[in-house]
Amino acid sequence: MESSNSAAFEGLIKRGELIESVSEMTPDYLRELKHTLIVSGDTELISAPAYYLAARKAPSVNAFMTGIAIIQDELAHAHIAYHILEELGESQEALIFKRDPKAFRYPYAFDVPLESWTELVVANAMYDQAGFCLLGDIHEQCSYGPWKRGLVKVMAEENFHLRNGRNWSKRISQAGGAAKEELQRAVDWMFPLTVEWFGLPDNLKQHSAQLDYRLKGLTNDQLRQQWLSTVVPFMTSIGIQVPAHQENSHYVLDYPFPSTFDAEAKRWDFNDPCSWIDVLARWRARGPRNAEMVALFQESFSKFQVQQ
Amino acid sequence: MSPERGRQEERVWSALAEINDPEMPINLVDLGVVYGVALEQRTVRLRLTFTAMGCPASDMIIADIRERLLAEPGIDEVAIDVVWDPPWSSSRMTADGREALRAWGLSV
Repeated sequence: MESSNSAAFEGLIKRGELIESVSEMTPDYLRELKHTLIVSGDTELISAPAYYLAARKAPSVNAFMTGIAIIQDELAHAHIAYHILEELGESQEALIFKRDPKAFRYPYAFDVPLESWTELVVANAMYDQAGFCLLGDIHEQCSYGPWKRGLVKVMAEENFHLRNGRNWSKRISQAGGAAKEELQRAVDWMFPLTVEWFGLPDNLKQHSAQLDYRLKGLTNDQLRQQWLSTVVPFMTSIGIQVPAHQENSHYVLDYPFPSTFDAEAKRWDFNDPCSWIDVLARWRARGPRNAEMVALFQESFSKFQVQQ
Repeated sequence: MSPERGRQEERVWSALAEINDPEMPINLVDLGVVYGVALEQRTVRLRLTFTAMGCPASDMIIADIRERLLAEPGIDEVAIDVVWDPPWSSSRMTADGREALRAWGLSV
């Protein structure tokens, strides 16, 4: 009985039908959906403190307002994911305020601090572009109806973040001199971190339950290519160099992938290729600012709890 | 106003109607934030407001207007006067604008 139910469920997914409630799901599907939502919610949530630390360096009141509006959007996007998780039986409070910093499932890039307005706008141009690729894929393909529909406004807002990143990157590059050099340095360390964001290459990832369940539609390498196909031409068009180029219809990296990263110095050593086992170990250990970023939204929570 | 001047002002309004708000799928004319357009030789003077004083997209909107209007033949300068009186309210949106936002899921 169990296996015929699960075969019927997989048939639904294959036919492209939408799943609307927990009662329709198999336990495996529910687990994968929750995992995917946690990664998405954590990524949106952590971007708020990460962006905030840099938005404080905004060069004008208008720029600061834009930075703060982006942070507000990110918190709202996180809320969509955690709200759905709550409907699936998880506790929002426990997920956000009671988890150990190391248990958060956001990309390693956010553990490396953004320390200037320039680094913030490069994050808008590259990290938000990664978010745009990942969420756009979920918006188009996801088999879970409530999430798919919730992403309509998210996509419009991510577009706003991207514009902020691109407008400012272009403006800083046109300013030239030390400003442009700072922009190039930011791209130098942030570009490979975002390439890494999409995870293991397809040839090392033999099986993906997320794809089987149509929680997403594109593979890691397809998403990485999509990202490269927007970021490489844009950066090149504003006179910023990136370590990748186009060959026929796809993009090729000009450095060994993966490579070794010194997070404290924000420096890649392309002469020191490493294995994915090393990368996974670096991700698991988390980066230099993991505890500090999580503390920014967790630290006051217990102060305001009513004692039972 | 000469017929030629009138036609040029119409072209400016059409061009403004091609510019979307950066955060919502509605153009600036339907949103009702353009209060007036005046042409003086090769300069367009625009009275513009925002839906909120803390509008995070104000720089982007101003940049979009400049870029689009400077692409119009016969226009070399765009002077934008940001005004707060009268204050914007949703009653300034056109029927088309209202419909666009409703379709997007905003109640207006």
